[in-house]
Order: sequence, then C-alpha cells, then structure tokens
Amino acid sequence: MSPERQESFNRLAWTMAGLVAALGPHFLRMQAWVSAFVIGACAWRLLAERRGWRMPPAFLRGLIAAGVTVGVMAGYSTITGLDGGTALLALMSALKLLETRTARDHAILIFIGWFLCLSAFLYAQDIATAAWVLPTVWLLAAALLRVSRHGAEGLAPRPFRTTGAMLLKAVPVALVLFFFFPRVEGSFWGAPSSERALTGLADEISPGDISELTLNDVVAFRVRFEGNPPPPSLRYWRGPVFSQFDGFSWSRGDVQSFRGAAVAYAGAPVDYTVTLEPTGQHMLFALDMVENWTPGLAGQAWDFGLRTRRPVNAVLQYEARSYPRYRAGEDIGLALRNASLRLPPNRNPRSTELALRLRGQAGSDVAFVRAVLDLFREQEFYYTLTPPGLARDSVDDFLFNTRQGFCEHFASAFTSLMRAAGIPARVVAGYQGGDWNPLGGYMIVRQSHAHAWSEIWLPGTGWRRVDPTSAVAPERVERGLEASFAGSELLPDALARGTPLLWQARMFWDNLNAQWNDGVIQFNRATQDALLSAFGFDDPDWKAFAAALGIGLGLAVALLLAWLAFEFRPRRTDPASTAYRRFTRRLARRGIEHEVGEAPRDFARRVRRLRPDLGTPALAITETYLRLRYGPAPAATDLRLLRGLVARFRP
Amino acid sequence: MRGWVRDWIRRRQGPDRDDVTLRRGRIYILPTGLGLAFGVMLVAMLLGSLNYANNLGLVLTFLLGALGFVAMHACHRNLEALVVKTAGTEPPFAGQPAVFRFALANHGRAPRFDLETTSTAGGPSGTSVAGGGEATVEIRVPTRRRGSIELERVEVATRYPYGLFRAWAVLHPDLACVVYPSPAAGAPPPPLSPSLSGGGSRRRGDDDFAGLKDYHPGDPPRHIAWKAYARAGELLVKEFSGDAETIPVFDLADAPGGDLEARLSILARWIVDASARGMTYGLRLPGDEIPPEPGESQRRRCLAAIARFEAPATDVA
Repeated sequence: MSPERQESFNRLAWTMAGLVAALGPHFLRMQAWVSAFVIGACAWRLLAERRGWRMPPAFLRGLIAAGVTVGVMAGYSTITGLDGGTALLALMSALKLLETRTARDHAILIFIGWFLCLSAFLYAQDIATAAWVLPTVWLLAAALLRVSRHGAEGLAPRPFRTTGAMLLKAVPVALVLFFFFPRVEGSFWGAPSSERALTGLADEISPGDISELTLNDVVAFRVRFEGNPPPPSLRYWRGPVFSQFDGFSWSRGDVQSFRGAAVAYAGAPVDYTVTLEPTGQHMLFALDMVENWTPGLAGQAWDFGLRTRRPVNAVLQYEARSYPRYRAGEDIGLALRNASLRLPPNRNPRSTELALRLRGQAGSDVAFVRAVLDLFREQEFYYTLTPPGLARDSVDDFLFNTRQGFCEHFASAFTSLMRAAGIPARVVAGYQGGDWNPLGGYMIVRQSHAHAWSEIWLPGTGWRRVDPTSAVAPERVERGLEASFAGSELLPDALARGTPLLWQARMFWDNLNAQWNDGVIQFNRATQDALLSAFGFDDPDWKAFAAALGIGLGLAVALLLAWLAFEFRPRRTDPASTAYRRFTRRLARRGIEHEVGEAPRDFARRVRRLRPDLGTPALAITETYLRLRYGPAPAATDLRLLRGLVARFRP
Repeated sequence: MRGWVRDWIRRRQGPDRDDVTLRRGRIYILPTGLGLAFGVMLVAMLLGSLNYANNLGLVLTFLLGALGFVAMHACHRNLEALVVKTAGTEPPFAGQPAVFRFALANHGRAPRFDLETTSTAGGPSGTSVAGGGEATVEIRVPTRRRGSIELERVEVATRYPYGLFRAWAVLHPDLACVVYPSPAAGAPPPPLSPSLSGGGSRRRGDDDFAGLKDYHPGDPPRHIAWKAYARAGELLVKEFSGDAETIPVFDLADAPGGDLEARLSILARWIVDASARGMTYGLRLPGDEIPPEPGESQRRRCLAAIARFEAPATDVA
C-alpha cells in the first residue's frame, strides 16, 4: 500500500474505532436490521479502503439514505423518539462512512459519535454505561486529533495520550460547570420516549407472574430511612392495586375513578427517601399508608396508590412519610363497594360455594376471614417458587386441585373468596421486605421482593391489609424468601447469599450504585441549593449562581493556565551558564560590562586589568566555568565549586 | 473587511526587522468552521441534557466544552514564544516561484505541532518543531516578470489540536527578492568575435603571467598565489594573459530582436550557458558594465543587473 493509502486507512481506522465504540451500547437495543446495516457498512468501507474500491456514487447513496429513513419510519413508526432518533443517527453515520474522505467528513462522523454517547446516557445513566461511554468520548477526541492534522510529517503527537492530557486539564472546568451550572426545573419539550420492556410489576397480574419476577435479583428501588426502618412485618411497599377479576387474572380494570377516601393516621410516622430505578410505569412505591410525598411528583389515586403523570423512564428520587398505623376509607361509596365485590359470572363455582358455606358457618365477617386463613394454614397448601399452571377457572383449580402456589395464588384465591362472601376486597401488588445494606445504611428492595397481598373492607375498620401468604409461610414475611426456600437452587443468587464474602462484595457494589444514584444522577436544583448554602450563599438566587460559577471558573482557568505555562516553560539553561551569568551581572553592577561576543578568558583578563583585586577570583570562576562547559568530562564537584566561587564573589 | 483588518494589523505592529518572538499581543485566534459546528453541537447537547435533566449528559457536554476551551488555549500556546527568523531568499527566474526561507525556533520544552506558514500568495506548508529545536520553512511566491518581488506579509498559523481553532500571527518582514529574466529558449549563440564598438575585450589565457588579482570563489585553485598568501594572509590569484580562450563580454546591443524584454532574456540565456560551462565572462548594459569574472557570484551579479535593468530614456537599439 502506498504511503497515502496507508495514511488514509489509518485515519479511517481511528474514526471507525471511535464510532463503533459509541455505537456499542446501542447495538443490542437497536432493531436487528439497523445493527446489521451499520456493521455491514463498516466492514465494506474497511475492505474498500484496503482493496482500493471506488465509493458508491452520489445517487446511490441518496437512494440508500431515503431507503433507510423509510425503514426507520416503518420500523419505529417515528424518527423523532429516542429509539427512532438513535437508529437514524446510527444509520446516517454508516452512510457517511461510505463517502468519508476529507478531514471534515471524519469530523462529522466523530460529532455523530458524541451524539450517540449522549443518547446512550438518555437510555441509562448507570455506572456501567458511564464506564463505557467516557473512554469512548476520549477515543473519539483522539480520533479527531488524528484526522484533523494535515500535511505534517516527522514529529507527530500521540493522539490518545495527548488527548488524555487535554481531557485531564478539562476536568476542573467541567466539574465547576457541572456543580454550578443552574439546572432548570421541568423541561422545554417532552421527555424521551422509549419503548422498552422493563422488569417489574405491570398493570395486570396472572397466576405465576410474581413467582417469575421473584427469580430476578435486579434492584427495584433503594430506601434510606430517617431513623430506624420499620419491622419486617410492616415493610409492605404498595404498588399497583387490582380491582377487576376476569376469573383467571387480575387487572386495574377500566380506569374507573372513585372518590378519594379519607385516611386517619395514628402512631409514629416513618420518613424515608426512595431512589426508584426506571420502571416504564406510572406508579411509585410507598409504605402503607403514605401521608406525604415530594410535592408535584405524583397524585394519590382512590386506591391509595401513587401515580405519576409521565412514565418513570429514568432514576427517580422522592421523599415520603408513611404511618404504619392508619384507618383508611371507612366511608365506602356504593360504586366502589360494588366494584370491589364484582366477580365474573359462572366462573370458579366451587370456590363461590365454599365461600358461602364458610361464611354461613362463621358468625361474622371477621370470623370468616380467620376461617379462610385457617383453611390455608391447616389444609395441605404449599408455598412454592414453581407453582404448576392453572386452568381457566384459576381459583377453583388452585383451591381444589393443585394447592401449590406463590403469593399471587393465595392473594387471588383469598380475595375472590372474600368477594363471594360479600366482603369488598382487592389484590394489592408491591414489594415486601428488603435487604439491609450495612455499608450504606439503606435498604435494597429487589424484584425478588415482589409480593401480592389482599385488602379487605370491613365496616368500622375501613380497608385493611390481609396477607394470606403469611398464613401459609409466616417466615416469608418475617425473614424473606430465603427463609422460606432455604437451600433452593431457584433462588436468585443463592450462592452469593450463602457466601458471606460474596454477599459483602455485592453490598459494596450496591452501595457504590446507590452513591452514584444519589450523588450523580440525582444531582439537581435542590442539591445545588444545598451546595451553595454550604458555601455561604443563603437562599441562593441567580446572582449566587453567577458568583459561584464565576469564582469556580476563575480558579479552574487559573489552574489550567498555570498547567499550560508549566508545560510550555522555556528550556532550562544549564546550571553552569546560570552561575556564570550571575558573575557577569555582579560585575556589570560595578560598571564592568560583559561585551557581546567577548570570550570569557578575554573578559577575565579585562577584569584583572580594571580591578586587580578581583583578578584571581574572576580567573578561577572563568576557568571552572570553561571546564564545565567545554571540558571533556565535567564533574559535579566543579559545579559546586563554581557556585561557591560565584557566591563568594562580591565586587 | 479583510483588507481593512490587514491594514489595521500592519499599522498596529509595524514592520518587523530581525528575529520576531511571537508574543501574546500579536497572536490572534478565532474558531474555525469546524469549531463553530462543535459549538452548535455543544448547545444542542446542553439543551437536550437540561431538558431531560440528564446529569451524565451534562457531564458529557461540559467535558467536551471544557476540552474545546483547553484546545483553544493549547492552540494559542502552540504559537506563543515561537521565534521567527528570516533565513534568506533564493532568486528565481521569472515564472518560477521565489523562495523566502524562515527559521522557526522553539525555545520551549514542549514541541510545537503543525505550524503553517503562509503568505498572501503562497500555499500552506505544515511543520512541527521539537522542544528546543528549529525548523526551516519555505514560502514560495509565484513570479511572472523580471525585477524584484516583495514579501510584505507572512502568517504563521496553527490549527493544532483538533482543528477547532486557528491561531495566527502576522509578520511584516518586508523582504525583497530579485527575479531574473527567464533565459530565452532557442536564443542565438553569442557573437563569437567580440564587438569592438564597445571597447572590445581582454584576452585571458594560461600562457603568460600578467599579475595578481583578488580571489573569487570559482577561481581555479592551482592559480592561487600561495606564497603571497603566506606573506600577507590574503588570498590572491595569479592572472595570465594569452590567447587560449576568448573572454566574452555579453552586450545588450549584441542581442538580436526589437523587444527589450526578449533581448534581456537572450542575455540571460548567454549568461546561464556560459556560467554552466564555467567560463569567465562580463556584461555590458547601457550605463552599466560588469568586468569579466568567473564563478557563481559573477552569475548572480550579472543576472541581477539585467533583472533590474531599466532602459534609459534614449534607447540605443
């Protein structure tokens, strides 16, 4: 390959490496044809560069561009959303590769690469994404350095290293901007919409859904309590509430709205901060019964669930206050009462019959509830992670046939028995429990803590939580899944939970993630205000921001300038010359100037002539200096000697 | 606008003599087109990150912004304290480019990359100078006719690193370079018998010692009077007279043709050919005569004389 071709290939390799790294987090997220097209274009271009093939003509590129745009429209139904936009950006970079020649073309590709990095952050802001993307930014900048140089041969900077040094110098300025650049509340335009399937509780629940979710150890949210966390039996995190039963599964039903019910709170409150991982859903999780939460974030529905206006697509932090003792919704409306009693007609007939029989035997509603719980406890019902599939009439099949179930089976059966006996009831899904992280002093609630329980309404007590699972497996509520299924291979991370060291390592990593969420992702206007207050700006307004930003940037820029001045400092002249210059300066002060071009020995002779008293030291200094400068092997002792002689030379 | 800026810079800085150290006051810097595009990209990223309250997006934006800021300073620093020295010219024949040489001296520790030296008429040539090093750059200025060409303005510029900014310094060296007439192609040979009308020519040869004259580079070493050198410490050359060689004196009057430029071209051809053969020759122009000498300096003298020649008011055709 000719040197020009080799150079062109090297430039292309740099740009492409940066681009592929930037596409990295997107490859699996994009539709397969997009990823395939991008990889194909990269491969073709590298081959074309090696073999010297011609680039496709302009009309063909235009045709492909139109084709892929239509493809994105068809595949993503929009080109403006996060998914469609990212796909389009990736495809355009691939197309640009087919005509890249000049430094400008390369620069455009690198700019696209940086946009893809931003897009990766819009998808996820976790540590792994940051750890991938930040080096990618470095690689892209190095590629820009490499491709922007032209025409210079010989001495060349090392792109990666030079760029690394520049980025290091940029860090203080960037940090000041990050901390003090005023954040805006709200947004200028809509939130990024991404159609992602996220693990978590959904708006419908069928038998088997939660037991499946339990196998997932992913963090749902983390909670930091002010004061002590409530005891395990009270750690019920309320999520979606299901009021409509179709005989098999439970759903929120038609979005019917009922009057919000009054809640009477009692006892001591629990205050806490939840950092919720993206769910793609509208609900927030809070301990029963929530009284107050970060204002403006969500509204409380008639079923006491907290719902946001927009889906939670990014890590979200909120504060809440709950009262474990409460009396909720004593006053039930007729419509809500009817909705909470409705059962699908002609379904689960045996259960209905059982309910009516038990209700008849029991004297009261409370006695009936106890009788149903005793039924679960005393008859042969099994709490299992792998419940068998159920027939169409799921409650009948469970109660009279399989008798093996997970929490949602028990909750579903219990709720429909209640309804059949005329007690308003509903299924509540959420999380129960949590792993305490002693390193960070917070609680981790994972998908494996997902749980379902029942809520029944009784006159005089209002809506009350009843957890039928606790009748079958009380240790589930008190000590978690591990207690119920000790030694089960199915439990997520059975190995880690069984090995203290691994468990410690996991807690350390989780604490790091929690810190990251709190310190980086959740850094917002409130945190900024607190930070400015710490610097003495009370009640910060825009002037405080301007002052902090100005002072901070001033310091960062001063640091940068000092750093550059050090890097570009003049070469040090050799110490012998420095000492000799001090000698001539001292003589100059006495009127004996060292002429330009005057040889040191001539100068020394002139000094002796003009000031005979200085002759001997001047000659000694000159001879030592000459030996140091021009002698075959200058000794370190000579330098010390010269410095000593000059120091003692006082004309 | 451009012309106005140039005049302003020239008035501000004045002409440059000797070596020029590029100080802060004479380095200008502006973003390039790519730099402006980079700025637009940063604004878009900032708006996007703020809108979605995406802190890592903001980190990315601020990091890139700060990188651009560092690049601006690095670009400026890449020129600052660089020393530009003039390093001679190379006179061309008309039609060839005139070469002005400059030395770029870097007294700093850090290397300077991708320095472009341009003039109004010349093209770019990138060069890098290691810490404590020096590099010579050439500025080629195209010429069309004989005479003299001036280099009024030189720009030392750099886009390093990243090409987001361009820093430049303007020098006004006011250098001039002689442009020789281009030697005529297919010129008639010089007249063999020297014309007597203008005073004839001396004959020189190797036969008889005729006296001593000053040494000029190009004189045959065997003619050097070593004894005289030992005595006086001055290099002298023995001259001989004889008829082994005819010493021509090229006369404008002998060059055929009506057009003065064409005739000067013919003279240039004769001088170039004679010089290439190592001959001794002289030149006679109306109002100017260069006595015969051998060597490179004679060639330069003669070519410069015809380059600068201006026809007297009454032309002796």
